[in-house]
Amino acid sequence: MLYARPGTLEEAVRLLADTRGSAFAMAGGSDLLVRMKGGNVEPDLVVDIKAIAGLGEIKQTGDGFLIGAAVPCVAMGEAAALKTAWPGVVEAASLIGSRQIQGRCTIAGNLCNASPAADSVPALVAAAAKVVVAGPKGRRTIAVEDVPVGPGKTSLARGEIVEAILLDKRPQRSGDAYLRFIPRSEMDIAVVGAGVSLTLDANGRIESARVALGAVAPTVLLVTEAAKAIVGTKLDAAALEALAGACSAACRPIDDKRGTVEFRKQVAGVLAKRAAGIAYERAGAK
Amino acid sequence: MVRFGIGQSAARREDDRFLLGTGRFVDDIERPNQAHAVLVRSPHAHARIAGLDVGAARAAPGVLAVLTGADYRAAGFRPLPCVIPLTSRDGTPRADPPRWPLAQDRVRYVGDPVVLVVAASRGAACDGADAVVVDYDPLPAVIGTAEALESGAPLVWEDVPGNRCFHWEMGDAAAVDRAFAGAARIVERTLRNNRLAPQPIEARGAIGEVGPDGRLTLYVSGQGVHLCRDMLCDDVLGLPRDQLRVITPDVGGGFGVKFFVYPEYPLVLWVARLLGRPVKWIADRGESFQSDVQARDNVTRAALALDAEGRILGLRVSIIANMGAYLSNFAPFIPTAVGNPCLSGLYDNPAIYSEVRAVFTNTVPVDAYRGAGQPEASYVVERMVDAAARELGFDPAELRRRNFIVPNRMPFRTVTGLTYDSGEYQKNLAEALRLVDAAGLGARRRAAKGQGKLRGLGIATYIEATEGVPDDSVIVAVGRDSITVVSGAQSSGQGHETVFAQVAAERLGVDMAAVTVVEGDSDRIPTGRGTGGSRSLANAGPAIVLACDQVIAQGLDPAAELLEAARADIEFRDGAFLVKGTDRRVSLFAVAERAEAAGNALRAEGTYVPTAPQTFPNGCHACELEIDEATGRVEIVRYVAVNDFGRIVNPMIVRGQVHGGTAQGIGQALLEDTVYDAGSGQLLSGSYMDYCLPRADNLPPFTLAFNEVPSPTNPLGLKGCGESGCIAAPSAVVNAALDALSPLGVRHIDMPLTAERVWRVMRAARGG
Repeated sequence: MLYARPGTLEEAVRLLADTRGSAFAMAGGSDLLVRMKGGNVEPDLVVDIKAIAGLGEIKQTGDGFLIGAAVPCVAMGEAAALKTAWPGVVEAASLIGSRQIQGRCTIAGNLCNASPAADSVPALVAAAAKVVVAGPKGRRTIAVEDVPVGPGKTSLARGEIVEAILLDKRPQRSGDAYLRFIPRSEMDIAVVGAGVSLTLDANGRIESARVALGAVAPTVLLVTEAAKAIVGTKLDAAALEALAGACSAACRPIDDKRGTVEFRKQVAGVLAKRAAGIAYERAGAK
Repeated sequence: MVRFGIGQSAARREDDRFLLGTGRFVDDIERPNQAHAVLVRSPHAHARIAGLDVGAARAAPGVLAVLTGADYRAAGFRPLPCVIPLTSRDGTPRADPPRWPLAQDRVRYVGDPVVLVVAASRGAACDGADAVVVDYDPLPAVIGTAEALESGAPLVWEDVPGNRCFHWEMGDAAAVDRAFAGAARIVERTLRNNRLAPQPIEARGAIGEVGPDGRLTLYVSGQGVHLCRDMLCDDVLGLPRDQLRVITPDVGGGFGVKFFVYPEYPLVLWVARLLGRPVKWIADRGESFQSDVQARDNVTRAALALDAEGRILGLRVSIIANMGAYLSNFAPFIPTAVGNPCLSGLYDNPAIYSEVRAVFTNTVPVDAYRGAGQPEASYVVERMVDAAARELGFDPAELRRRNFIVPNRMPFRTVTGLTYDSGEYQKNLAEALRLVDAAGLGARRRAAKGQGKLRGLGIATYIEATEGVPDDSVIVAVGRDSITVVSGAQSSGQGHETVFAQVAAERLGVDMAAVTVVEGDSDRIPTGRGTGGSRSLANAGPAIVLACDQVIAQGLDPAAELLEAARADIEFRDGAFLVKGTDRRVSLFAVAERAEAAGNALRAEGTYVPTAPQTFPNGCHACELEIDEATGRVEIVRYVAVNDFGRIVNPMIVRGQVHGGTAQGIGQALLEDTVYDAGSGQLLSGSYMDYCLPRADNLPPFTLAFNEVPSPTNPLGLKGCGESGCIAAPSAVVNAALDALSPLGVRHIDMPLTAERVWRVMRAARGG
């Protein structure tokens, strides 16, 4: 196995594109190294992206935030402006693993690992985050939900890597939230995860919303029916029930010993309601 | 004034090295020219071995030996023993299928050892193991405890019909029938005690070594060197006992699991002798899940008979106990003679009958784990008493009060044959209710309801019968400036180095720092019974006192010489011999020096023969929890444990024992379950990703209280404490959950109380 630590994005892309065997980009390594230790993957090339200039930074621009692919999740929790604008996304990033893992892991890695139960992804999908992908043919920007295509699989082509994740500047009266359900209370794999992002109008009615669910389908689900159920409402009881119903109906979960289909559907609805409540409160407070 | 005598929370002396990483565990031992062993284990729950090709493995780089079950038999060794004789109720002996350390013609669980591969490095041994080719012919497997008895179930052993290992009984069935005939109310439940996979943080490991004289040494992570030596020599290897030395260094947790002789131990000794070099085997965590004995796994049908005033008339219990695929050393003992006598609980129950049908399944063998049969028995009693209170309309505490054995009836002989020596059960219950603020529950329940939470309070009283053995020996030797206490008990984290030193320091009037405790070497310790059943201090403590008293007596003559006084005028006080009525004194150590110079070193073996076979720690746990009505998630919000451990030597260590045991009991109640795929017999919960151990954030702060009622049956008044937490906690937690769910009409739920299980029960109760 070859380990490379290039200083530029172009070199990283070239290394990944030119390798005939299996090649992996590595940020924190908290997924990849575990899979390698477990004998699940045997890469011919690992390209460490942490030395690439700019990839370890969170940049605030006029349009929002640019989170480099090598930014550890713990740094997101320490970025005050990001936390104020996107508390749900930061919460989700802060739920991955333990504090030690959070010092290594990245949301770009969490996304590209393509686990259906990834914690940060439902929050990113709810937030309508975009992804800057660099590859041999240059850069392209795609929606975050277009990256994972199935368990362990992404839409990225050979040689492509995620350079950064973009979060828009928040309009007034916006809030987001992420909740997950696990057998214990921390450091565990989500049975269900729910992310909600919404913006209120001047009268406190929900003007726009996005609802995303994790661990209930092969990829994270963007549930447009659920968003429709609450847009135009003040999140009254009927709207919440409609939201929960839409979420439960959208789930296509698996049965395993962590949770059955029925239970995951139930909890998806409950979590979506609760996350919506938190997001609504946050939006009202701003 | 002795620093850190009995009753003081001396800091644990062993913790410095554990916290600084300088402890010495089996895997820290590197013997010169040491080779490494790995085992090829069965990937099938049940299969015939149709073919075995070890040629490529033997030729693999670095591989030194590849040994099979046939090689083992050809070497003349024997299967691992089950040392518990047991007779079924029809008079026939229990089934006794052989447990060969390496499989012969069949494998019977996923993880069953098949081939041993030894190489110069662990990596080479793993590669060698990968080169072993086993042709398996899979057979149908039976996994479930109750399913094993069903007609047509696959047979684990062809010559054990119905997978039935034994059918044992205890008690007077006719008396119980009469009690039931006259009962105003009979309460019945089927209770499942979930299978646990115990998890000492240090995995098992062993090193076999042969000396130049051919004598063998086994370094092993165990709970007592003598039992291991004797079983290996007498039953397995056919060696004189003096030809094997067993050494146990620091041990990182045992909980019973490390009490036993496992297949790997004779194997490393055998191959070390074959190769003439030391051979180390260390389990990885996945192997621990597949090879350490597992625990509990009973299905129990219980019926409790009461009169109209809520007085218990009788208990009838029918247990199916899962033994796994083979009988581990003590397996039949656990669900029978260890657990069942405790079915009397703290109650004056005049009629108890229990029958146990033990079954074989294609699962990892089951044996003792913290509590060993007593958590199961206590769970039955306390669930049934609570159920009876609900069905008869009593407050659960009141029903218990009506049935408690009261102090003026001590000693009390239970119908199950135990003699309780002391205990204030009412007082402990009252204290637990006060500490948990049972009176304020109603208000807390209403407040919780407003938050979408169902809140409930559960209590569980408990009694533990600590393991009794006929005798225990300890050697106390006094040198020129230090005292050595040699014990055949074995600490696996309990703190013997501290507590045993406290006992000796108090008796000899010296500073605890002067006392060194030695354990874990069969060459240095003549006899010992290891550590298990919460018995170490209750047995070693009095033995230490006896040995100290003998040492003091030995010192009288040399002290008289040093003080130039008559022996009759010498007395021992505060670490010194003195002439009565004067200030002339000479220290214990000066006397020891004199005695040693004269060739009569101060050294005595104290053998304590208990006046009673057991002690009876007891108490009451109270648990308050909340259930999320929408998801079924359970959160424990208050937890109280009131305990009577008799006289306490080190309160801090006792608190630690209660914390740890209670955490394990809560783990069983809320989270832990060993899940096998019912069809394939694959262990689904075979890692920490899937086997849900409790962590700090699953546990509430514990409120502990101690009611020290000295045991009258030993000179120190000790009762033992180590297992109490996991005996009481499961029923306290489940009773609390059932209290919370009672507004929905829920009357039963099984462990573990996962969110999904609780949600399903709620949904069913609501008719959903």
